[in-house]
Amino acid sequence: MEDRKPNWLLTLFLLIISAPILIMYFWLFIDSISEINTDGLWPEHFTLRNWRFLYEDIDGHGNVWKATLNTAIFATSVVSIVVILSSTAGYALSRLRFPYRSQFLGFVLLLHSFPSVTLIISIFLMLRLIGLYDTLVGVILVKAALELPFGIWIMKGFYDTVPWEIEMAGLQDGASRFQVWYKLVLPQIMPGIAALAIFSFMAGWSEFVLPLILVPGSETKLLSVYLAGLMIDDYLSDFGLFKAVGLFYIMPVMIFYLFTQDKLMNIYGGGTKG
Amino acid sequence: MRRLRSFLPLWFMLPASVIVTLFFVIPVFMTFAFSFTTMSSDTGVLGNRYIVSEATLLKLKELNIDPVLVASLGEIRFVFDDTNLKNISQLNLKPSLLKEINTKLKNKVFATEKKLYAALKTLKNRPRSFKDRKAISKATVSSMMNKEFLTADEFSQGLVSVGINLDAPAFNQLLELTNTSWHWTTDNYAELMASDFTLKILGNTLFYVFCTLFFNVGFALLLALATFYMPSGQSKIFRALWLIPRISPSVIYVLLWKWFTFDSGFMSHFLSSFGFTPQDWLKEFPWVFVILANGFVGASMGMLIFSSAIVAIPGDVLRAAEVDGAYPLQQIRRIILPLLAWPILFVTSYQTLSLLTSFEYILLLTDGGPGFFTTETWALNAYHTALSNYFGNLRYGFGATLAVVLVVVGIILSLLYLRLFDFKKLVTEPQIET
Repeated sequence: MEDRKPNWLLTLFLLIISAPILIMYFWLFIDSISEINTDGLWPEHFTLRNWRFLYEDIDGHGNVWKATLNTAIFATSVVSIVVILSSTAGYALSRLRFPYRSQFLGFVLLLHSFPSVTLIISIFLMLRLIGLYDTLVGVILVKAALELPFGIWIMKGFYDTVPWEIEMAGLQDGASRFQVWYKLVLPQIMPGIAALAIFSFMAGWSEFVLPLILVPGSETKLLSVYLAGLMIDDYLSDFGLFKAVGLFYIMPVMIFYLFTQDKLMNIYGGGTKG
Repeated sequence: MRRLRSFLPLWFMLPASVIVTLFFVIPVFMTFAFSFTTMSSDTGVLGNRYIVSEATLLKLKELNIDPVLVASLGEIRFVFDDTNLKNISQLNLKPSLLKEINTKLKNKVFATEKKLYAALKTLKNRPRSFKDRKAISKATVSSMMNKEFLTADEFSQGLVSVGINLDAPAFNQLLELTNTSWHWTTDNYAELMASDFTLKILGNTLFYVFCTLFFNVGFALLLALATFYMPSGQSKIFRALWLIPRISPSVIYVLLWKWFTFDSGFMSHFLSSFGFTPQDWLKEFPWVFVILANGFVGASMGMLIFSSAIVAIPGDVLRAAEVDGAYPLQQIRRIILPLLAWPILFVTSYQTLSLLTSFEYILLLTDGGPGFFTTETWALNAYHTALSNYFGNLRYGFGATLAVVLVVVGIILSLLYLRLFDFKKLVTEPQIET
């Protein structure tokens, strides 16, 4: 279909209802590098003082680099587990013949639509019982387990689009089923793997409820909990500081989003939690 | 070779299955198990714990147990057992005195400080200064009160160390009375049915889910339709813009709403030019902003799904309508909306479940306030009861009971959706026989 002509009234209407988003994210940037003016909206002068958290610890909130490192470890570990295990399990569910396959698939789909956040209390108690409470290992395993049904489901979808002829040709040439998967099928679904990796990285980087409850200690604190801690501190009510920390925290997510928008839209449109 | 092939599915499925079972499936069942316990931060989650507290003493008195025993449990003693002797050796005392204490006072128990001082006076190398005597008294003072013992053996050793010797029946009775560990119960469910808060929270939850859903689906439709009638460049920008709240970490997104609504934030400044006094709008209208903040996040999902459904409508149908002189509004009403029925049902059901169970944004935005339970929803209340509250006693068992309700609703609705959106079609048989 040929492109529609611009309808400026419609554009104006959409601009108005989108205004809160535009305003919020615009001032996120502005306020992080300026002295907040309590009498007006426009900042009075430029300052880098809001970024002081990078080189000095904010009283009682620990070190931001420690939290950043923890968050990076958390997010990348979750990505590795989810990507590796989903690409094997997804392949089995898409292509291999084994007993109860369809039941497995139904179960994965059921878990995918099940609201996992309702389990947080029993997960907290279980981690206390097995001694993984307040450890990064514990929260990584939990986050990976909760993301896996989604990952498996998405990967199964990607495998479904690979033509069977590729595998049949491979088997004909004497390759084993494992070699066919590893050498012929995996390269075909690299875009899918990349999309899943980016999606789970963003999910891990942004996670708040799990680390809040499972890793509250100062040694294991993640960035989301660090920022939330600043926001509820009664002695600080410094939106300039909060926004600088916020901008620092959101940067990786925004960079990924800018470069991989189309891929992500497909996944978000596919209906995940939210 | 044959063997390897036949085990391939097992190796491919096993790692994922193990992690999902341990940290996803088992917690589902454990929620039910925990809901039948009295677990709380007072009882701990591990096994037995024996503690003599003020409450235990009162209970003992009520049961008419030997008053001498009750009194001695509550008293402090001065005990020269191994641990306390070690404490003393770390004090700055004369070696000769230390040696004498080790030989003459070992395993002695004194009921009062006076008796202790009297005993110290009989020593050859007795401590001269009051400071030294006080230090010894401090290092040897022992009591059963509020000490935590993890096993019956430890408890009995504790009793012996403060000079209380009991026969077996008396000991067992005391053991049972001091056991503060959790036990199985169905009281949580009775309490849930009887509590006045249950209805209040249920009402809040339904109100929140209904309003947010209405806003979400409405805005999603509006955005999908509006961007459909725009040039593709513009519509791409708007869709990308509306996805930003969704991809932002929740903490930052809520931070921005807090700034937007606080008394010298954007709204206050903007509205003051129309004569409104600046105020903390979030505190004034908590529900409005809880719903708006959730709605702006949720609208993007519907927007994307509806947009792709609209694009999938054959262009000829719409063009034919245009040729026949149908205005966009008529097109929407007669052609597009009827074709969107399934996507709308899908988005509505999906978001109903996620709104019922998620509490992240409300927790960050209002934490259930302002005031008492103003914006407290069921899921948030379960979190508050079990994991974070101002009363100090975290009631894991009762929190799990609240969560059980959500888990049951989650299971029923997920099963229903699987039926509704027919998953059988998604399963195709493998075409290779190995």
